[in-house]
Amino acid sequence: MYLSRVAEYMDKLRYYLSVASYSMKLSMKKQLEYPMEIISCFAMIPMMYATGILLLYFLTQNLKSIGGWTFPQLAFLYGIGDLSHGIMVVFSVQNWFLDRYVNRGEFDRMLLRPLNVFFQFSVSYVNIIGIMDVLVGLSVFIYSCVLVKFSWTFSNIVRLVVIILGAALIRSSIFTIFCSVAFWTKRCSAVTALMNDMLERTTLYPMTIYPRLLQLMLTLIIPVAFISFFPSCCFLGIDSSFRLPADAAVMTPAIGIITFILAQAVFNWGLRNYESSGS
Amino acid sequence: MIVISADQLSKKFTVIRREKGLKGALSSLIHPEKITVNAVDNVSLKIEKGEIVGFIGPNGAGKSTTVKMMTGILHPTSGSVEINGLSPFKDRKKVVRELGVVFGQRTQLYWDLRLGESFELLKRIYQISDSMYKANMKQMDEVLGINEFIHIPVRQLSLGQRMRGELAAAMLHSPPVLFLDEPTIGLDVEGKHSIRKFIREINQRYGTTVILTTHDLDDVEQLCSRLIVINHGRIVEDGPLQDIAERMAPYRFLVLEIASPGIGIRHPLADTVRQNGNQVWLRFRKSEISASRLISDLCYSYPVLDLKIKEPDIEDMIRELYKLNDKTGSGVCN
Repeated sequence: MYLSRVAEYMDKLRYYLSVASYSMKLSMKKQLEYPMEIISCFAMIPMMYATGILLLYFLTQNLKSIGGWTFPQLAFLYGIGDLSHGIMVVFSVQNWFLDRYVNRGEFDRMLLRPLNVFFQFSVSYVNIIGIMDVLVGLSVFIYSCVLVKFSWTFSNIVRLVVIILGAALIRSSIFTIFCSVAFWTKRCSAVTALMNDMLERTTLYPMTIYPRLLQLMLTLIIPVAFISFFPSCCFLGIDSSFRLPADAAVMTPAIGIITFILAQAVFNWGLRNYESSGS
Repeated sequence: MIVISADQLSKKFTVIRREKGLKGALSSLIHPEKITVNAVDNVSLKIEKGEIVGFIGPNGAGKSTTVKMMTGILHPTSGSVEINGLSPFKDRKKVVRELGVVFGQRTQLYWDLRLGESFELLKRIYQISDSMYKANMKQMDEVLGINEFIHIPVRQLSLGQRMRGELAAAMLHSPPVLFLDEPTIGLDVEGKHSIRKFIREINQRYGTTVILTTHDLDDVEQLCSRLIVINHGRIVEDGPLQDIAERMAPYRFLVLEIASPGIGIRHPLADTVRQNGNQVWLRFRKSEISASRLISDLCYSYPVLDLKIKEPDIEDMIRELYKLNDKTGSGVCN
């Protein structure tokens, strides 16, 4: 009885994985049909990141520290933020363009398939250009690890991996939640830009430079603090002025899963409101 | 066996009426004037297994909205739909497994990928076994000639090829119910012919139930055993095409060519509606006099050289039907 249930779940998992992997493969093939776009973006992205890290460098040159954080510590904070951003951009950048899916009636097709729509949406796109984001993020992060003399023990590596995956999940879920507004308004590019700015600014500096109220909001309402601030505090032994119930390696993935569940609920709520597009 | 049943199905859309100009745009921001449009209004119907039903009506009549509700894409404002006894909203995944859907104006295929790649994805989604897939693909090739262009990216296919691809994609998992929303739109004669042949064939071979929305009355004449006419969201006619034609256009015409012009042709059961030169048009009711009787009567009394019978024009009849309906009802209410 119990075993047959397990076998059933395994079948289901295999089914979803086979659809996901093929769908993602097709999406990548599709992008390779237009190689020039990929190449030009590959050239742009490193410059964008370079400006971020240079900004921090020059600021600390003049101010010695920001909120008590030195340049190597800030670079570490930025590195975690960058890397999680890169992973999010590879796997869930389609959230940014949710309005296109709505306006083109893409969800019609998904609603006609015997599969969860949010799942289909999630696997409908893998962003090849995002690989550049990951590579640059990874270089920034490794550079910062050298600066803070990060100790590469096994447990630290495991903690790091789950934190970065959890952080990517938080980022992606934030976008899903806010971009789902497109189900009602048919537009979400302004929301996308706003969230991108917000995430960029709040993950670039240690949260302690903000007023307490804002800190609370960034912890409890939009859990940005779990993306890079709390993990950096944990690794670097800096006081975050918050007492977390567990290590960041537990908190960040947990918050990631909670926001993900919430994101699915908001998405499904929006989908119920979806009015197709006339033809 | 009833496959599809809709009961008092309605869909209301709320639209905001925009005033003209900047001032108007501002005032509709502050005081939006909301209008409710009854896109579909109390539609009830039952469709039996194996039927080919033609769904016709002018643009914006509510055909596509009705199809979208029946396939679970749109939620009805009120009323219910059941496909094989299941609601497409509560059991969406179960219901859509039994459906094949083609929207003529929007592709279900991947624009930038080869046709075969879309099929491969569908194979995985519907968990079609290799042997089944092979058999189905072979058959699709026989009827639709798919293999000719299976390796070409969808964006490079001609409209006719794409449409054949869409049909194959919709039938790949052998669904018992097929919804086709304007499958012949924009196709040439050859293209239309092959689509119609395919529909007839799957209907005969597997007893597939087909619901077809179209503007093309040839589709209806050649395929459909039953016709549903919808206008302003309401069903205005439902029945076999012949019955509707009988009711709407009970007349037929007899066109005679006579030996010399100027002969006044009269018959008690037919009206002479036009006479120019040697040609005379007579209108008669099928129910009052048979064509053969009328012909023998006329040939007996007049010098008839040649003759032909004209059936009523369905297109005219449908146009009449829409017009009639426009006078009695309107889909917009406040």
